[in-house]
Amino acid sequence: MLRIHYSLESEALESISEITAPAELNISMRNKILKIKKGKKLAAGELLAERPSKYGAACSAALSGKATKVNYHHLTIKVDGGEESVEPIDVKSMGPGKELLRTLQELGLNIAALSSHADNLVINGLNPEPGISVAEQLLKDEKETIEAGLKLAESLVNPVHTYLAVAAGSSYGLVGTERVFVKPKYPNSLDALVVKKVTGKEFPDDTKVISVMDLYNLGRVYETGMPITDTIMTIGEKNYRVLFGTPVAHICNELGIDVKSGDKVVLDGPFRGEAVYSLDEGVKKGDYGLFVIPEGTFPSIEDATCINCGECVLSCPARIQPNMLSRYAEYEMFEMAEKYHLHSCFECGLCSFNCTVRRPILQYIRFAKDQLRTSGQAEKA
Amino acid sequence: MTPPVIKAMSDIAVRLTVSPAPHWRSKRTVEKMMQYHLLALVPALLMAFNMFGLPALSTVGTAGAAAVITEVLLLKLQERDVNVDNYTALYEGILFAFLLPAGAPWWMVGCGGALTIVLGRTVFGGFGSNPICAPLVAWAFCRLSWPAAMDIDLNLAHFAINAPLDQLKYFGLDTLEQFDNMDLFLGKQLGGLGASQILGIMAGGIFLVATKWVRIFIPAAFLVGVTVTASIFWMIDPEVYANPIFHLLTGSVMFGAFFLAPDVASSPVGIIPQVLFGLIAGTMVIIIRVYGIYPDGVPFAIMVANLLTPLLDRVRPKPFGGK
Repeated sequence: MLRIHYSLESEALESISEITAPAELNISMRNKILKIKKGKKLAAGELLAERPSKYGAACSAALSGKATKVNYHHLTIKVDGGEESVEPIDVKSMGPGKELLRTLQELGLNIAALSSHADNLVINGLNPEPGISVAEQLLKDEKETIEAGLKLAESLVNPVHTYLAVAAGSSYGLVGTERVFVKPKYPNSLDALVVKKVTGKEFPDDTKVISVMDLYNLGRVYETGMPITDTIMTIGEKNYRVLFGTPVAHICNELGIDVKSGDKVVLDGPFRGEAVYSLDEGVKKGDYGLFVIPEGTFPSIEDATCINCGECVLSCPARIQPNMLSRYAEYEMFEMAEKYHLHSCFECGLCSFNCTVRRPILQYIRFAKDQLRTSGQAEKA
Repeated sequence: MTPPVIKAMSDIAVRLTVSPAPHWRSKRTVEKMMQYHLLALVPALLMAFNMFGLPALSTVGTAGAAAVITEVLLLKLQERDVNVDNYTALYEGILFAFLLPAGAPWWMVGCGGALTIVLGRTVFGGFGSNPICAPLVAWAFCRLSWPAAMDIDLNLAHFAINAPLDQLKYFGLDTLEQFDNMDLFLGKQLGGLGASQILGIMAGGIFLVATKWVRIFIPAAFLVGVTVTASIFWMIDPEVYANPIFHLLTGSVMFGAFFLAPDVASSPVGIIPQVLFGLIAGTMVIIIRVYGIYPDGVPFAIMVANLLTPLLDRVRPKPFGGK
């Protein structure tokens, strides 16, 4: 029985288990610039694609093999089980600067939070969403790697204060950080609200926030010099290390999860994650959970008109009016949506969660943001 | 740009459902909301049957049926999906009936039920788009068109008691000695057939608040508005103005507070606007009762407040990170 809850606390955690390597990797190519050709023989760790954005992380092959299928949406690698691997890069000897940032980016890290100075560095140590316990698992098991990552991050950001936000009542800590307790209840784990809790300010300019998952990856890159090719995911009660591109079907087979037609399979959390359309879909960076939601568990989303009940407004932590925003987005009045403080939204999803007529409000908001971003880019060009 | 056709990669034996986030949802639906609201009307309906007998039930049935049939016809005419199974038309038809005297002429009850849908909702775009609480539009239409058919004392002349608010309006404060507060509370008074069943309405209203289908802000602010305004007048001169308890226990105050004012579409969103809305509506009730020409100010007070809703919705907190 599915339990809907907002709690971000994790129960007693076992250690991280491995998911065995699959025979095929399906890597999503959405919003990426492909750097290899079909048929190419790949070594483990070889660069596959880059992001078009300035700070985005590159994507590398998790295992050696051959690129067999390449299309608009996916890259498929047939794994050959070989030992071939790229040479590690000596990150330890690099001083802070452009070269280090560029290397980190190539090794699969997003450097948006690292690329300039900030007075405050906030480490978000809360589990990102209900049902996911990755953050606390890493704080418990991988403290040294996280601290190595923190040292590297501090050398890049040069913060005056470093804070660690953790769930109230937990005992996790990191050397050199001031601990701030946050009530472990969704949406308090979202970066905007964590920063507000720590600094008392909303969207301050002098604060950078980075999650323990990202710090952990940073620490691993620092220690090994190898690109990041896996993610930790909460599946059921336990956490697993999963290679990028591992098809969902493979995970389900390994763990004996039964998926029927009509069910929903969600990568990442139940509030902000993405429902995959095929069991062949591969796991990607930033997926911290896998949820199977049986058919009929929830009333489905509908194309209904807003009845103005106000539940979304009353539950909105950003104090905006999702009812108006979704209407403006629906009728493509994106400038009006902006006037109604579209950009205060940090996409917690509580508006759609509570909607009486089941409008896809969060989707409308994301759509409006995306359209504004695209038209903004068009104007600049 | 035509979006590219995304083919299933290989496994099509299992066809998954896709939807935008969030994937967990509260299980709120319109159907459930209306079922709870209808359930909340049951105690008052039973008490009305006890008080007024079968005419109470036939009035409710006529208005509800007229509303549902009208809704079906209009949805068909508009070539929209006929979704009367979400109970909204039935619920609003019954709300209209609750404002009528039991045994009001059947043709007027039917007309009112239909008008609730036509003038109250459809002309503005259907359920959820009405700027004014739909049953009140029909009530006002009937009240102005057929005052005799709507008159409470006239329709219920076979009862040996009088309508309290009409006594206050036309015969002054001294006549109120005939009313006992306990009788008023238990619904032994003349008035709208459901609206006068104070105990039943309160039970239903508290049930809705407890089950979170109605947020507390509007009902609480409405009752505070009524009490405070009535107290002010009463303290100015208790010889001329009725005491606040009398105002709370008569007419449609309770019914308005828990069922009419919190109507989803016509009430504001957000806590501050909802509180202001409740206070304004509650204050207007007493002002109309004291200075207006209608004995019971509730319907018009709520309609006036409904008109202010778009304005009240502009009162909103500073957005997150906003200036």
